[in-house]
Amino acid sequence: MRESGPAFFTSLSLHSLAMGFVVGINFAIALGILGFIPRFNPRSFDKFFTLHWYACLLILLSGLALLLAYPAKALTNPVFFAKLIALSSALLITFKFQKQFFSEAATEAGMASSSLKPWATLSIFLWVATITMGRFLAYTHEILLASRFF
Amino acid sequence: MIEFLLNFSQSTGIFTFMNSQWGWPVVESFHFLGLSMLIGTVGVFDLRLLGVGKEIEMASLHKLVPFGVAGFFLNVITGTMFLSSAPDQYIYNPAIQSKLFFLLLAGINMLVFYNTVAAEAKSTPMASNAPTRARIIGGVSLLCWCAVIVCGRLITYYRPPYHWCLWC
Repeated sequence: MRESGPAFFTSLSLHSLAMGFVVGINFAIALGILGFIPRFNPRSFDKFFTLHWYACLLILLSGLALLLAYPAKALTNPVFFAKLIALSSALLITFKFQKQFFSEAATEAGMASSSLKPWATLSIFLWVATITMGRFLAYTHEILLASRFF
Repeated sequence: MIEFLLNFSQSTGIFTFMNSQWGWPVVESFHFLGLSMLIGTVGVFDLRLLGVGKEIEMASLHKLVPFGVAGFFLNVITGTMFLSSAPDQYIYNPAIQSKLFFLLLAGINMLVFYNTVAAEAKSTPMASNAPTRARIIGGVSLLCWCAVIVCGRLITYYRPPYHWCLWC
């Protein structure tokens, strides 16, 4: 992974593309919940949720490939774990949204409950934090290669 | 050109900020945030044009476009900060040249959309496909934004003098 330019670059590009789609779709859903999409019917976003989870899978696979390339760089950096916590929390909120939107108890009109608004705000905040920590990873590592330990 | 950009960067304080300890990653974070806002609004609208989420009203979804425009301006501002702080690393870089080409293409594509099928596309009823021309424009737009992201990642790999390209 590390030695092959195309493999590393492809993983990095796929990671960025997938992140763009995941954050973008979450951003659109959060804006809908916050009232920026008139007559927002969350159930109509079902295909976007599917696309979102596929993009998440891509994030996971490309992220693992990047981790394999520079394991010491990430695993010795607290920012990496903070990013994982922010990312997991944001994904849990997305899962909560999806579960609530498609549950039988969802509101008759299919409109998003106003009780979800604080969660939508938190979701945007967590995605911004994930992006920020992802960018800071490249600048905060103290150890680049595992060979440092041998 | 390089001198002009450096003068601009130094006289506005951008250069000092960008070369501070956290200047570069902070601006990079805003740059990616702007891009995510674009994908979340323009990208989602493009996908709807292509037929994803047909139950969503096109006109309602179009209300998100101002957020995409805000994201784009965030990208222009942060992109200018990168470019003016290290112009020699960008101007001769084939990756940024390709990125700017796709940006231009996305801009032309958007103009074509608003001057031809926008009204018809926005009035597409729920559960219906957008007009074929609008679907083509949506596809081109989505491809352009994906290419912009990929070329953006390539910039680091083709920093002068370690680069190759067809036209250099």
